[in-house]
Amino acid sequence: MSEQIDNLIQKEYAAGFVTEIESDTLPPGLDEDVIRFISGRKNEPEWMLAWRLEAYRAWLKMVEPKWAHVSYPDIDFNAISYFSAPKSAADRPKSLDEIDPELKETYDKLGIPLHEQEMLAGVAVDAVFDSVSVATTFREKLKEAGVIFCSISEAIQEHPDLVRKYLGSVVPRKDNYYAALNSAVFSDGSFVYIPKGVSCPMELSTYFRINEAKTGQFERTLIVADEGSQVSYLEGCTAPMRDENQLHAAVVELVALDNATIKYSTVQNWYPGDAEGRGGIYNFVTKRGVAHTNAHISWTQVETGSAITMKYPSCILRGDNSVGEFYSVALSNNRQQADTGTKMVHLGKNTRSTIISKGISAGHGSNTYRGLVRMNPGATGARNYTQCDSLLIGDKCGAHTFPYIESKNPTAVVEHEATTSKVSDEQLFLCQQRGIDAEKAVSMIVNGFCKEVFRELPMEFAVEAGKLLEVSLEGSVG
Amino acid sequence: MADFIETAASKDSGPPPKYLAAWRAAGIESWRRRSLPTRKTEAWKYTNLRPLEKAAYAARPEADGIDEESLRPLIDIPGLGANRLVFVNGTYSDTLSDYDCADGMTVVRFADANGKDAETIAAHIGRLIDGERHLFAALNDGWTEDGVFVRIEDHAIVTTPLHVVWLTTNASHPFGVAQRLLLLAGKDCEASLIEHFVSTEDAQQVFTNGITELHVSANANLKHCRLHLEQPSAAHIGGVHVSLDRDSRLNSFHLGFGGVLKRIDAVVHHRGEGAHCEMNGIYLPRDSQQIDYHTTIEHAVPRCTTSETFRGIIADRGKAVFNGRIHIHPDAQKTDARLSNRNLLTSPDAEVDTKPELEIYADDVQCAHGATVAQLEDDSLFYFMSRGISREEAKVMLSFGFINELVDRVPVPALAEYLRPRLVARFSDPGLSRHIL
Amino acid sequence: MLTIKGLKAVAGDTEILQGIDLTIGPGEVHAIMGTNGSGKSTLGHVLAGRDGYAVTAGDVDFLGKNLLDLDPEDRAREGLFLAFQYPVEIPGVSNMEFLKAAADAHAEYRGDEAPDAVSFMKKARELCTVADIDPSFLKRGVNEGFSGGEKKRNELLQMMLLEPRLAILDETDSGLDIDALKVVAAGVNEMRAADRSFIVITHYQRLLNYIEPDFVHVLSRGRIVKSGDKSLALELEEKGYGWVDQEVA
Repeated sequence: MSEQIDNLIQKEYAAGFVTEIESDTLPPGLDEDVIRFISGRKNEPEWMLAWRLEAYRAWLKMVEPKWAHVSYPDIDFNAISYFSAPKSAADRPKSLDEIDPELKETYDKLGIPLHEQEMLAGVAVDAVFDSVSVATTFREKLKEAGVIFCSISEAIQEHPDLVRKYLGSVVPRKDNYYAALNSAVFSDGSFVYIPKGVSCPMELSTYFRINEAKTGQFERTLIVADEGSQVSYLEGCTAPMRDENQLHAAVVELVALDNATIKYSTVQNWYPGDAEGRGGIYNFVTKRGVAHTNAHISWTQVETGSAITMKYPSCILRGDNSVGEFYSVALSNNRQQADTGTKMVHLGKNTRSTIISKGISAGHGSNTYRGLVRMNPGATGARNYTQCDSLLIGDKCGAHTFPYIESKNPTAVVEHEATTSKVSDEQLFLCQQRGIDAEKAVSMIVNGFCKEVFRELPMEFAVEAGKLLEVSLEGSVG
Repeated sequence: MADFIETAASKDSGPPPKYLAAWRAAGIESWRRRSLPTRKTEAWKYTNLRPLEKAAYAARPEADGIDEESLRPLIDIPGLGANRLVFVNGTYSDTLSDYDCADGMTVVRFADANGKDAETIAAHIGRLIDGERHLFAALNDGWTEDGVFVRIEDHAIVTTPLHVVWLTTNASHPFGVAQRLLLLAGKDCEASLIEHFVSTEDAQQVFTNGITELHVSANANLKHCRLHLEQPSAAHIGGVHVSLDRDSRLNSFHLGFGGVLKRIDAVVHHRGEGAHCEMNGIYLPRDSQQIDYHTTIEHAVPRCTTSETFRGIIADRGKAVFNGRIHIHPDAQKTDARLSNRNLLTSPDAEVDTKPELEIYADDVQCAHGATVAQLEDDSLFYFMSRGISREEAKVMLSFGFINELVDRVPVPALAEYLRPRLVARFSDPGLSRHIL
Repeated sequence: MLTIKGLKAVAGDTEILQGIDLTIGPGEVHAIMGTNGSGKSTLGHVLAGRDGYAVTAGDVDFLGKNLLDLDPEDRAREGLFLAFQYPVEIPGVSNMEFLKAAADAHAEYRGDEAPDAVSFMKKARELCTVADIDPSFLKRGVNEGFSGGEKKRNELLQMMLLEPRLAILDETDSGLDIDALKVVAAGVNEMRAADRSFIVITHYQRLLNYIEPDFVHVLSRGRIVKSGDKSLALELEEKGYGWVDQEVA
């Protein structure tokens, strides 16, 4: 049975190919001149450069975190190139037709037909290829609603007041090692502003790709939902096959002002490395949102890629009655290691949070849930419910659960439940006896296991997520 | 904090038993190489060691001037009928102790051991402890003057419990005490051990460093209770380390009132297939007390089971820390391990930090843990009140109800009876507990 | 339909089937009776291809194919259905999803088009009535939280949907009350057809009052020790299993 599992797990990475585009790439290494170069290339105002430099100086004094349940060789931060842009960056395409055909082809191979999405799904796409945004659609329609959806570089030029007010307000520059690094060198990313009382007329979506060899990707995303507004943001990513490990240290900040709602969904399928653990992305991302009075922030993530993941999308429930949610599926196959979870920090009265985490471990994968629920003294009447379940496929993987619960308010209620189970031989045999092959059976059981999370994803993502799990698990049956 | 390392290392602990001299010296040496944990040390994240620094605790306790007879009411447990060893401020008390070796159980003090017993002690002591994880065990090694060695023969059914009391009294200066117990339970045997930490009612200036090691052989059945009922100003850092051989059973109960610094590590190693561990515990910090229980269950072999339940009621400005780790090693298939931790906060200033951990490297296992933090439910309180019971009395009844289930499971019935009124008294005026007792 | 010759099987070191010979023709109902541990459930599991048993000798021909060469799922797709004694729960996978996946797999194997979702659901709902299952069960996880009787009726529902050529009912009657038993028996009788056969494994004669067998075989210590018509079952009921053992000895 386990041999059958092993066979099924083995499957070449479907998105593994490299697009050959001339890049304008900075040589590896990091010092203040590199930061000045990045800032200069982007024609940034002085305050932005100063902000970056201060982050860099703080970063120099910080130490790399080592507490996560993952192991990987030391990262040489001077072997990374901190700027890479497609040559055409200066002369950006006005429409999708102007996109580099090879780049478009890349997306097509991944099954992300940009123009189809644009027309069929009504989704505005801000596609990021390496570091610079190369296509933005539906700008006009969003403009009508007053929604700003552009690259962060553009926002720094066009909407400096908003950026200055909110950048770093949720994830301070010195928050952690990788956030400090990102603050110093972030290349590009997305900026969203939803004005008061506006429901964003469409789902906003960005597909990220990491392409250039040895290029770290430092995305910066800032979403501000003004009072009473609503937005749903989708982030999806795949990366081509590479031998070198690539570092990805993004920062995502969400600001949900009074009565606003932000729903942030991620499907992450970066290159996980091969079956022996060679190559693959290091995904060390800081994602955090602040929810003001009656605001609602929801993180949904399906993580099947990356060699090493350390990621804890969090909610600071600052305002009374604010709500935080975290729905996660994390899959670790082969030699993948994931240490992921969330933090729910309850500050306001009657704040509520829900955490549903589903970890799947197969092959030699290691999957760790690490979560914090903190009830501060002011969190009167606050509630948290946490459910974290682990599913084990095969006998060489690991599943770990480290929930931290800190309560300083007697009226707050915290409930945490965790279970661990395996795909049993009995279950597989029942399926086989009904004519369903083992691979399909595992995929059905895994999809069933993840159902509560998939339900939270926008429809088109839910389908993609199911497909991703299936591909990622092929070969993992018993 | 570097000071405490050196101060503690230089404590005069009297002459060691000869056969432990080298081991004790190695303990001090190991301790000297360490640094005290800080809040960044994961295992000490929520518990502050500052009280150790404040008082040096390095002196020897005073030997004289204690009226031992007057201490009897503190240590008597009616109906227990146990063999009893009593240590007062770390020194064996002949007056208060009363034991004989019968039914296949032998009890020898480290100070008295010679010949084969001395060899056995030297061969087993410290063997269960991971020195890297348990820093204070090295200090305990270095401080050990005396201790209790218990040996239970194969097949022996020991019906009389062993009651070991460590009692402290008020002193004119801070002092340190090392408590040590080593128990070897033979095949198929049955026995009960009660470790009882208590003090006089006046303020204490003592830091007790405790280590208990329990080796349970195949198919043996050991009941173990560890009670921390000291006066709150007494500091205690202690560890209980157990190894369970094939088909053996451990039924353990922990009880802790809070204090200025109280930290207990309970570690169980499942080393033989089919072993079972039941571990229950209650913690009740109040005023400004804190208490920290760290439990670790190591499932290293297949088909073992663990059922662990800890509950706490945290009152006033009290603070509780619970960390329950279950570690399933790669070969431990068919493990069934369950952990539940529930907490009641009864005051706006109370705090609990709980972390139930599962670390699993085997696939054919059933594991679950749950943790809750809440206060008494309004619905329940209202139900009592609607039947004419006052809110205050309802609170007491419900609070006690929260832990009573675990008191019922105390493996030595006379002990449960002894504890019940003392537990109720922790959170009520006498008048309010009339319907419980 | 099915020809078993000299079938021997072991589980670990224990030989459980010690030489089974059995021929089942189209449209026939064979009852296999025996005490606990006689090997009757093992026979069902070995025919269905369950892991944990090794066939050490013998041949099994099912509709002209060597059954023992096929993977469990292909045996199912060839038309062999095992109704489990203890159907396992599969949380999270809905009954409907499961049934559709099974039916699609069967259709694909035959080279047919997969049944369209709407008419399939309609059919499943209709069959729920026959199997006395509340259609809301279709939305619940496979066997999740079902009572013993509900699980057995769910097995019946699956059998009616998949329309096997040979159905093996493994102690489907154990633990059922009389009403549930009648429902299951009625379902089976409804499905009896000239090209469909049944193996009814049971400990009790009671089921055979409702599903009338053409042949009755008594299994003891991994061998068929006595065969006869339905009167054998009655005789067994009267005299007990000890009688067969004595007679064989």
